[in-house]
Amino acid sequence: MFLALKEMRRAKVRFTLLMAAVGLLVFLILFQQSLQNGLITAFVGAVRNQSAPVLVYSVDGRRVIQGSVIGPELEAQVRDAVAGGRVGRIGQGTFTVTADDALSEATVLGYEEEGLGSPTTLVTGRLPQGPGEAVASAADEAAGFGVGDVVRIEPGGLEVRVVGLADDIQLNVAPTLFVAYETYLDAVRSRNPDAGTPPPNVLAVEPAPGISAGDTAALINAASDDLDALTRADAAAKTPGVAQVQQSFRVIFLLYGLVVPLVTGLFFLIVTFQKAPSLTLLRAIGAPAGRLVAALLVQVLLVVGGGLAIGIGLYAPLSVQRIGGITLRFETAAVIGWSIALLVLGTASSVVSARRVVAIDPAAALGGTGMDR
Amino acid sequence: MTVTDPHAPALRLEGVRKVYPMADGEVVALERADLTVDRGEIVALVGPSGSGKTTLCSIAGGILRASGGTIVVGGDDISGYSPKQLTAFRRRAVGFVFQTVNLVPFLTARENLLVVDEIGARTGAPARARADQLLEELGLADRAKNLPSQLSGGQRQRVAIGRALMNDPTLVLFDEPTSALDSKLGRQVMELIRSEMTARGIAAIVVTHDERITAFADRTVHISDGVLDA
Repeated sequence: MFLALKEMRRAKVRFTLLMAAVGLLVFLILFQQSLQNGLITAFVGAVRNQSAPVLVYSVDGRRVIQGSVIGPELEAQVRDAVAGGRVGRIGQGTFTVTADDALSEATVLGYEEEGLGSPTTLVTGRLPQGPGEAVASAADEAAGFGVGDVVRIEPGGLEVRVVGLADDIQLNVAPTLFVAYETYLDAVRSRNPDAGTPPPNVLAVEPAPGISAGDTAALINAASDDLDALTRADAAAKTPGVAQVQQSFRVIFLLYGLVVPLVTGLFFLIVTFQKAPSLTLLRAIGAPAGRLVAALLVQVLLVVGGGLAIGIGLYAPLSVQRIGGITLRFETAAVIGWSIALLVLGTASSVVSARRVVAIDPAAALGGTGMDR
Repeated sequence: MTVTDPHAPALRLEGVRKVYPMADGEVVALERADLTVDRGEIVALVGPSGSGKTTLCSIAGGILRASGGTIVVGGDDISGYSPKQLTAFRRRAVGFVFQTVNLVPFLTARENLLVVDEIGARTGAPARARADQLLEELGLADRAKNLPSQLSGGQRQRVAIGRALMNDPTLVLFDEPTSALDSKLGRQVMELIRSEMTARGIAAIVVTHDERITAFADRTVHISDGVLDA
């Protein structure tokens, strides 16, 4: 500690700059982690945070709720396949609405029964109990979707009153309203009086007692080639675009995961080269190589630790902001995970420097190995 | 391991050889060197460049391992020591003052002395007291907080001497201690070495190619082509 701390104290600018560089990288990593999670939640939060364990799409719908249509024949096949379980209809549409005296796009999701497509992350108010009531995405509260606000479906003018707010229930990065199935049908008819009674987009399924969601999905898929049943988690993860977003971010994170240890490793390698005469002197007067390597590791851990503190310090206030329709969150798991990963990677990056320290020949302090004298 | 015999000579070399294997044979850097240095004795080791004086010094100080022969420092036979044992031996029993890089640039004068304790026993307060005492005796008390870059060449050598004395060594090895100094300052440093070693009864070998240095030694030993004179 003595050597490590004294050196850092005497070279404050150098070590502070490295710490700041690591801190900025940590900030970018954590911020983008929040951005990724916020983006995906805004895309498929409504799927992830609804109550049905299994969702059944038509194959033609390609795992997009609005693109899926479950006709009467398919619905009957599902009901047969899950005998003993519960099945409910879900309809979804994107509507132009007036909220807070402004026109915007909103997603309306209608479900038949509580527990079969209702939101699970209610933070205030209650679930809809009758026609014309809705639970809105909490992220859009300020945009006229707060409890007590009335949202008008255009152009028909159907009014829906917000009675509750739920976290992370957006679909397609738009304000989202969970309503009773009848209210959803009313919304469709208010926009198009000739719509009649449209078939549900997907079916929500609660498995029969003793049967898992995965097995239930398999039973439904076995019942018809035109059905595509997915567990809740799969339905969210396999929504078109989600995997691509995750893949893109994974590449970015991989690059960051390489850059941080590379920056740290190169810095300490340069420093080790620069102070080679001092290290040689210390080895010559009897410093064990292990003690010098320990000093190096202490510096690496302090720099990466300091960088983490700076990065998290920058990230914390920004992580609770909204970017467009995307809500960012302070991702505790990501902070812990990346902290551990970067400490390990940073330590690993100092291996080359440590090997260099171990390889120092104390005889060099006396002008080489003696061959030239 | 501690020094086993307080009455033994500070250094005894018997038939010490150092051979470097090369692609086309071997190079003999030191040929059957015999040398005894008594406690408190200052020996000037004089020879031209490439004569083997640094090799001898390195072997005596446990920095290099000999190819053969016996090396006993203060009663400790270090001939068969492993590199790890030699590191501990250097830390415990030998002081070094080198020709060029002598001080750690990011440590103050006082810390350059304390580093000897930090890499070893870590005694804390006693080491701090000893460092302060040595700096006082070397006339550097007011420079204790100065970095090497804030010291003159002579002051830096004095700090190096202080560091060499921190572990209360049996033997101090000086490698061309005045080569980077002008003749006046060089003489002052040698006078200081002389007085400090004598006052403490510590043996010293001063490696030099400058015959003028020999005036400060009790004895002069010449070396040429790896062979000590009789």
